[in-house]
Amino acid sequence: MSRDIIRTHGEHAQRLRDAVTGSGILDERLRRGALEAGPDGDPLAEPYGALVRQIREDSSRVTDAQVRAVREAAGSEKAAFELVFAAAAEAGLRRWDAAVRAMTEAGDATD
Amino acid sequence: MRLTDVERGDSPWHRALIRMISRVSGMRLPDAARVAFYDRGFAGPSLGEWTQKTMRGPSAWSVSERELMAACVAAWNSCPFCVGAHGAIAVRGLDREVLERTLADHTTAPIPARLRAALTFIEKMTREPEALAAPDVEAARRAGVDGDALRDAAAVAAVFNVITRYANALDFAIPTEAEFEKSAGMLLRRGYS
Repeated sequence: MSRDIIRTHGEHAQRLRDAVTGSGILDERLRRGALEAGPDGDPLAEPYGALVRQIREDSSRVTDAQVRAVREAAGSEKAAFELVFAAAAEAGLRRWDAAVRAMTEAGDATD
Repeated sequence: MRLTDVERGDSPWHRALIRMISRVSGMRLPDAARVAFYDRGFAGPSLGEWTQKTMRGPSAWSVSERELMAACVAAWNSCPFCVGAHGAIAVRGLDREVLERTLADHTTAPIPARLRAALTFIEKMTREPEALAAPDVEAARRAGVDGDALRDAAAVAAVFNVITRYANALDFAIPTEAEFEKSAGMLLRRGYS
């Protein structure tokens, strides 16, 4: 059985978090900021902040201009991709954490 | 696709692979697969591994049920690419009418009560995660969703709250229905990692 299947969901969530903060070419402060800030955290400097907020709040309304601005500020398409990915990962992981909290409150052993 | 580097591939090998797969399959390789090939030194492989476990690993939910959950998360996040891609896989194991009625309103769709309860939980997880609490878990439990099944459903919601967001942000090209159908076969055979 492959390692993907053996690891628990909690372990996979942590591996995803660690991969976003611990790898990539985008400045670590931006990757970490996108991943850890959340809706109540300190916003990232512009133009990064606007794209991260848009991805978090309604990704269907992200514009070409928002992505282009980040691409120019970050210096490469790969760096821009990593910011997009980090912002998306924040949204998924925050929801995973919320589900785990609810399950823990309800007395379900978490993985 | 807003980033041409992602669309094309970031190495000569990946560019050649993308061209070859597109040629052999007779269709443009979908943007989700192009993202999976891209920036492999970053976090994509970790997400792919979690997605593989979530969507294809042992679970109380069938593959079709999990793909239905993914399509619902995509609908709640207004991601037409993921609705199309995962709906096309879901209907390999359940009726198209069930898919369409569940996407329209899972509370009245002709689906088992435990699946309905899991979808209710992950809808709240998607739309109002900060409001999710023990009563939501207890409601799912009363409908027959045990801890493992609820964790599996929550994992579908978690990974697809990630995937739908980057699909939208990168403006994935929307395949035709025939292309979604062809891709469904490939995803069922290959999986996600």
